[in-house]
Amino acid sequence: MGVTGILIALIALTIVLAAAFLVRPAITAGIAGKILAFAALCVLPALCIAMGMSFHMQRSEQTKFCISCHSMEAYGKSLYVDDAKHIPAQHFQNHRVPPDTACYSCHTDYTIFGPFKDKLDGVKRIYLQYVSTPPNPITIPGGFKNAQCLHCHLGARAFQDNPVHATIMDTLTSNQMSCLTSGCHDTAHDVANISHEKVWKPGT
Amino acid sequence: MKFNQTSMGQFFRAASVLIILGLLVEIVSLLWFHPLSFVLFAFLGAILIGLGIVVYLASLVFAPIPLSGNRE
Repeated sequence: MGVTGILIALIALTIVLAAAFLVRPAITAGIAGKILAFAALCVLPALCIAMGMSFHMQRSEQTKFCISCHSMEAYGKSLYVDDAKHIPAQHFQNHRVPPDTACYSCHTDYTIFGPFKDKLDGVKRIYLQYVSTPPNPITIPGGFKNAQCLHCHLGARAFQDNPVHATIMDTLTSNQMSCLTSGCHDTAHDVANISHEKVWKPGT
Repeated sequence: MKFNQTSMGQFFRAASVLIILGLLVEIVSLLWFHPLSFVLFAFLGAILIGLGIVVYLASLVFAPIPLSGNRE
């Protein structure tokens, strides 16, 4: 039984107990009934909310969840471009980021409230998708920060020993020079030309 | 005592209905793999469940307590 199964079992138990108080509220006349009511109408529902929130937070980290949004389909395809110059594709295909959480690995804000901030940004994008109009092309507010790259690469031998990186390390860590838009690693999600790109098929 | 139980019973019924509805919405949001499932959970399911909890807790505080005959 997975996490989903456990959560659904907990929800089912809570529904059954809550239904008992709906049909027979007089159960609470005794001490045992009062304790049961506290569990069924306060503790268990609160637990269901907490576990549900945790479940949704973890699910939204999945690559397949990100690309389930229509606007993101092309970005999902760009992970399969058969060209090492394409940074996201190279990271995804070579498991430099966990493939199941590839989008999240590079786009989350690595701070204590980063995932919550990302979730709020995600809700804004849902608003744009379903109520307003999604921007075209899609851009990251404030641009892609070097901290996302440096979270993994900083301190890594291949990165540190690279003479180009060593020369400009201060400007990279202070975000004065972008890893992506300064002409070094400038091919990210090239969705405008995705239909012309050769695609890698896993297992071939 | 009858008045107290009836009043508390109404609170419990309201709390139960809200919690059951919220939990049903939560089940749908768990099984639905779509970006809107989180919105459904957070803005409908969690709010219904939260309201149910608040109604239950309110019943403990605000439900009228009758004067017991044997106290006098």
